[in-house]
Amino acid sequence: MFFNSIAFAIFLPIVFYLYWFVFNKTKSTQNALLIIASYYFYSCWDWRFLFLLVFSTFLDYYTGIQIEKGKSERDRKFWFWLSILVNLGFLGIFKYYNFFAVSFSELLNSVGLQASPILLNVILPVGISFYTFHGLSYVIDIYYKRIKAEYNFVDYSLFVSYFPLLVAGPIERATHLLPQVKVKREFNFENAKEGIYQIIWGLVKKVVIADTCATYANAIFDHYTSMNSFSLILGAVYFAFQIYGDFSGYSDIALGTSKLFGLDLLKNFNYPYFSRDIAEFWRRWHISLSSWFRDYLYIPLGGSKGGLWMKIRNTFIIFVVSGFWHGANWTYIAWGFINAVYFLPLLLRNSNRNNMDAIELSWNFNSVKTIVSILFTFMITCVAWIFFRAKTITDAVLYVKGIFTNKDFGFQYLDNERYNYELLLLIGLFVLVEWNSRTKIEPLSGKKSMLKLALAIMAIMAFGTFSDYKEFIYFQF
Amino acid sequence: MKHFLIYTIKILIVVLLTAIALDGLYTYIFLQSENRGKIETVFNSEQQNYDVIILGSSRANNHFVSQMFEDKGLKTFNYGMSGGHLFEASLMLKLMIERKYTIKNVILEADLNLSNDHESEGISAKFLPYIHNSAVIKNHFETEKNFNELYYIPFYRYVKYDGKIGFRETYKIVTGEKTNALDNLGYYPLIKHKNGNMKNNIHNLNPLKRNKYYEEIKNICKANSINFIAVMTPMCENVVGMNYFDKVKKAYPEIHNYENVVVENKYFSSCGHMTDAGAKMFTTRILKDFFYK
Repeated sequence: MFFNSIAFAIFLPIVFYLYWFVFNKTKSTQNALLIIASYYFYSCWDWRFLFLLVFSTFLDYYTGIQIEKGKSERDRKFWFWLSILVNLGFLGIFKYYNFFAVSFSELLNSVGLQASPILLNVILPVGISFYTFHGLSYVIDIYYKRIKAEYNFVDYSLFVSYFPLLVAGPIERATHLLPQVKVKREFNFENAKEGIYQIIWGLVKKVVIADTCATYANAIFDHYTSMNSFSLILGAVYFAFQIYGDFSGYSDIALGTSKLFGLDLLKNFNYPYFSRDIAEFWRRWHISLSSWFRDYLYIPLGGSKGGLWMKIRNTFIIFVVSGFWHGANWTYIAWGFINAVYFLPLLLRNSNRNNMDAIELSWNFNSVKTIVSILFTFMITCVAWIFFRAKTITDAVLYVKGIFTNKDFGFQYLDNERYNYELLLLIGLFVLVEWNSRTKIEPLSGKKSMLKLALAIMAIMAFGTFSDYKEFIYFQF
Repeated sequence: MKHFLIYTIKILIVVLLTAIALDGLYTYIFLQSENRGKIETVFNSEQQNYDVIILGSSRANNHFVSQMFEDKGLKTFNYGMSGGHLFEASLMLKLMIERKYTIKNVILEADLNLSNDHESEGISAKFLPYIHNSAVIKNHFETEKNFNELYYIPFYRYVKYDGKIGFRETYKIVTGEKTNALDNLGYYPLIKHKNGNMKNNIHNLNPLKRNKYYEEIKNICKANSINFIAVMTPMCENVVGMNYFDKVKKAYPEIHNYENVVVENKYFSSCGHMTDAGAKMFTTRILKDFFYK
């Protein structure tokens, strides 16, 4: 059941009605309903993986209590590592086992030892990377005594399995969501209205921007060897907007949906393509994951407290691990590595926290500098996206090489019977709208909101891509 | 909560009004379309007189050279549609009759397409803008399982088939961008491709015993005193399951089998589609057999 499906359009109002009109007596009834709805939502993909979700939830719930109750440090450590190893074990088996088996076998073959890998014929459970990280952060926080263990299983289950964030985040923190789950929610009109705006704007991003860009990006990436330089550049730009529209659109719908139930989720995107350097980009892109890696990997590794080499080492570790989190493929690792390389000059010059202020433009040289910085950051981000999107690293390298060696910057007719330049106007318009609303959560609220809402609805209906349906990219992670 | 429910109703009204407005706008634009495709052209046309019209799939579109008919003094148009099934061919003929076309002969390519009586969504979608403007189109789609959504939900058909009749198509109609569908009197010549697929396996294909839309076309012709000529057109040499054509002949004895009139691969662009040279050889034979006895 996707957020942009008819099934979800039926599911959401039913749950909303039951939540506010039937099960709104206590927080327990509200939570119970949301749990049932969330499990139903999840089982629509594959009901068998529901058992994995419930097991993972119970494991972290139980180990969390045991860690808190642990009489000795040894006990606490035992439960802590049990939870970490089982969680990462599931992730390893379902997501990474085949990758490691194939890579190891290729390594052996390359040194002349014949080996054929034993592969597992399993499909990746939807959202496993997200709910595993929910559970991990919870257990780690209890172990380090940042939070108390949750003793109410229903409340804890809701924190892990809440349907708006279950399959593609945002990756919530117990400190943020659990306190909200512990109290009865009261309906707030303004909050719910804001939720509607976010849902509609998320749909615009998904069906108008992401899916339309996907049609062009796919046509270019899938036939990159026959594309000219201009098409290859446009392909990277289209993919940049595809993945942004797709994932931030999903996050907007998730946050908006959650607001309808009186629960605020963590902000996941903050207009990342208006970043002035790569450090700022990573403070604005997939914020819940970046901050997760910062808090649970970078800082425990020593963060930036040690010497220069330690900072460099830690930076490369979190970017490469972050890339690998996305999928079991060398292309994701390369993407993470490239971002670490981008980050390195900022780290060496100690300027990675330079652009913390809001972006303001006026008629002066500084503004020109800002615009150039934004365009440069976007450009290098697009180069990294090529590695993320390509099937193999060789494809990505040849793609980049094609940009520089083909030298034909003319219009090209693509295999899908469309011209390569066709989307530029749509993207330009989208960028303009986002730029004008960069200080807000979404562009629809504020003055003349009903008119803006009507235009957004019209855009979805008239310009949306529906027949060439594409799943949310981040569902596969 | 009351405020929110009122607000939600307002949004639903906006959605409905937008859908109605867009539906009206898109339909109006499609009603002006004249040079984009065969379906739009027929729908928006006045009464016409033809000696020969050709119906069928791409195997009609690429195989009957209209100009050769014209050269013999026969006013002809090739209405074969690439990707189309008999569902669309039948509807096309019904539309022509609705528009009072006078037709002396219908040549129907009836071979591989006899194996199903489903619609071909990519082609049938192009009739949908006119579903409220033509009883013939409405009735033709009435038996389809998604008829109610397509007919009653405003703008649904444009959303569902956005790739065919969505914004891009309406934009192209407005800007008057032409396609080549109407060039060469509807015939689309193919050239020889180095990498053309010259193998085909139709072993598992079986003609339906009574294809609903084939029968419809036959009956329309009979009712309107149109000479009905059904033919099987050539396939390349490397086809597995060539007895399919015998099965067709057995089920439909009136269909003329021209499958082996052109066989050499050099006359084929792909296994089921002849090149221009092959099409000319084939058309010569059709003209000789049916129009100069």
